[in-house]
Order: sequence, then structure tokens, then C-alpha cells
Amino acid sequence: MTASEVPDRFEPWPPGVEPAVPIPGYPNTFTFTPSQPAIRRPATRTEATGPVDLHRKLPCGDANLAELSPGKFAIGQLMHIAGRILDEAGRPVRGAIVELWQANAAGRYFHPIDQRAAPLDPNFIGNGRIRTDAEGRYAFMTIKPGAYPVPVKETWWRPPHLHFSVIGPSSLSRLVTQMYFAGDPLNALDRILNSIPDLAARQRLIARDLPPAEVGDEWLGFTHDIVLRGRHATPMTP
Amino acid sequence: MSNSLLAPTSQHTIGPFFPRTFFQPGDNDLTRVTHGAAPTQRGEAILLRGRVLRAEAVPCLNQILEAWQADSAGRFNHPLDPEAHLADPDFLGWGRAWTDAEGCYEFRTIIPGGYPDAAGQRAPHINLSVMGAGLMRRAQTSMFFPDFPAENAADPILALVPAAQRGKLLAVPDGRAEGLRLFRFDIRLQGDVAVETPFFED
Repeated sequence: MTASEVPDRFEPWPPGVEPAVPIPGYPNTFTFTPSQPAIRRPATRTEATGPVDLHRKLPCGDANLAELSPGKFAIGQLMHIAGRILDEAGRPVRGAIVELWQANAAGRYFHPIDQRAAPLDPNFIGNGRIRTDAEGRYAFMTIKPGAYPVPVKETWWRPPHLHFSVIGPSSLSRLVTQMYFAGDPLNALDRILNSIPDLAARQRLIARDLPPAEVGDEWLGFTHDIVLRGRHATPMTP
Repeated sequence: MSNSLLAPTSQHTIGPFFPRTFFQPGDNDLTRVTHGAAPTQRGEAILLRGRVLRAEAVPCLNQILEAWQADSAGRFNHPLDPEAHLADPDFLGWGRAWTDAEGCYEFRTIIPGGYPDAAGQRAPHINLSVMGAGLMRRAQTSMFFPDFPAENAADPILALVPAAQRGKLLAVPDGRAEGLRLFRFDIRLQGDVAVETPFFED
């Protein structure tokens, strides 16, 4: 990786893109969110750099969540999710680490903290980690997750969603986000999705459906691009 | 050529279910590139332990912490470091940990070096990000060492923190453990101004 490939210019978050916190009806945001405003700091080298060889520490390549071992398929609607990791100038971020995790088709996570009375699927763990290719592409095969209720006093149901964690070449571009499915009636009621003030920013969290003509008739197909903060000060030559 | 920029994708909470299966032994050990690798021979290895607490000093379970720092000479193996070719090849500078039911985390790392920066001379420091249920945005802080009072006094980022708050960003020496010097650094996500950890945005 060369200096021209990594972002060295970082603008503040645009208005309406960051979640508005704390979130009414999501009690933990009232006790976890810092009460003092964050101190704006310039990006010194520690903030502008990040781990470029992290695949040495975090093994990558586990892209099929739907088939635990040959022939052992998870229950649910098979789906393929793919897209690109881009910087703010639209340049692909190659070598980024993309972590995906999600609930099973019944809306339960394979996690000791999730003790909800919904079945675990013996053939579904629900996480994978890959590196993006030279065009910034990632892809996973998985199953569509189920919705689940959030155990708070005035409960609400999380719509089906995928969790993404992306580690690029800059600490400033570190991103943890979630992806939703178009047309789900729970989207409009989700307190987490709707904490993003800007409508267009919310819509950018919703994956695009691909028609069967593009993905075949064996699985659902979705594309979802993720844009990390930062760009290179010198524009790409066409 | 278009000057239009794409808007960055919004942050969300990492939630309570970041997979334990993503963690392997050694993820919180910055002294080794991989779990099986020999530790770096450069710099003083230390242990860093602390707790993550929220309002009313309640411990936070299953918070995810990520550490990022320079090597023992203040260099990064990264294209933006003009001395990247001199960076410690046996040091990635990155680690990840999660908090237990008491809110406790641990990293094994080395004391980083400082470095000259356009903003000023940086004192040795470790950048820490905290992510977890209830935190919609990652909380970013920076930890400094009491070993370097002159460097800390000149650090341009520490200088942005109100003077009365700076002490909260200093690790606290706590004797030795596992043959190494032990430092403590508690992170108070929310509390009154006297106790809340200062956080940064870039």
C-alpha cells in the first residue's frame, strides 16, 4: 500500500449523518453516552494511520455463513450480500477488513448474552470476516436474519439487519454500522435506524435488492456499498 | 472531473452481540503480531488493565475496546509515516479486547515512543476506542503515561483538554504483574465532569 492509496484528508461528519443521542426508548443510550461534548482534535499521525497488515492478526476468508460445513446448511432464506468499501471520493478501499455478524432466521444470536426464548440453529454461527479485493469488493453468502424484540421496558422489534465492522487503513475511517432490507415494515419503527436524522443517510443504510435475473434463482441477492470517512488530498487522475 | 464527494456511511452501535467467536487468544496482546509469534524485542512490555464504567459507576459488560499506537520509537508501519521503513516489523500496533461482567479489560503492549507531528511533538500515547450496546458512536480517548511529564506538558492534543481534566488521561502505575509493569486506566463513559473520561472527535 502506498501513500497515494490511503486517505490523508478528513472532513467532519456531514450534518444529519451521525446518530442523534441519547435515543428516546433506548434506555442504555442515556447511561452510556458521554455527557460532555467530545473534544475536536486535529488528525495527528496516530489518528490518520491504522493497521495495514491486520489480516496477520485477524484471520480472514470466512465468507460463507450459510453452510457451517459441507452439506450442513443454516435454516432460512439463502442470500448473497456483496458490495464495495469506498472512501469519500469514491475510491475503492482495498485490503479493508470487513466483519459481518447477524441473528439467525429466528432472530437469535449465537452469543452467550442472547438468552431469548427463540431457537438456536445448530448450523448457524452467524459471523464472517474477509478482506476487500483490489476493487474494494466484499461478498458473503448467508441467510436472511429474523427480527427480534429488544428487552427494554417499552419494547420494540429490531428489523432484520446485518452488522458490519470495517477496519480500513486509517483509525479515522474505522466504522461500525448496520444494514437493513428494503420494504420491511419494522424499519420505520426502529429506534436505532431512525436515530439518524437525515433521510438520505438512513436510506443509504438500506441494501439494494437485485433481481433474480442478476443473481440466479438459488438465493436472494443484495448489494450494499459502505463509504468510510476520508479521502486522499490529491484527486485520482482519470 | 467531478468534485462531488460521497457521504460517509452512518455509525451505529456495535450492539451487545459482537461475536465472541471473532476473538482469539492474543487479540489483546499488541506485543505479538499473532498469537504464536515471538514478542517484539523492542520497547518495554507492559500490562494495561482497566474498567469501563457508565453512569453511577456501573460496570459495562461486553464493551469492545480497540487500541492503536506507535511502536517503541514512535513509528507506524503505514504509508503516512515517512519513517515507516524503520518501523518495528514485529509490531502491528493494534489490539482488541472485551470487558467482562465487572467491566474489566486487559491489554499487553509496549510503551510507545513519541514523534514529531505537524500539530506539535506528540507524547507517548495509546488511542483507545470503546464500542458497545448503548453507545451509538464509538467513544475515542487517548491514554498517556506519567513517565513523561515534560512530553505530556508539550503534547498538542493533551493541551486541548481543560487543565483540570488532563489527569484523567494519565495511566496509573499499579506495581507489577506477570513480570511486567502494570498500569491502570479506567474509562468512565458517563459521569459528572469531575469523573467522566475526556473523549475526542476527529
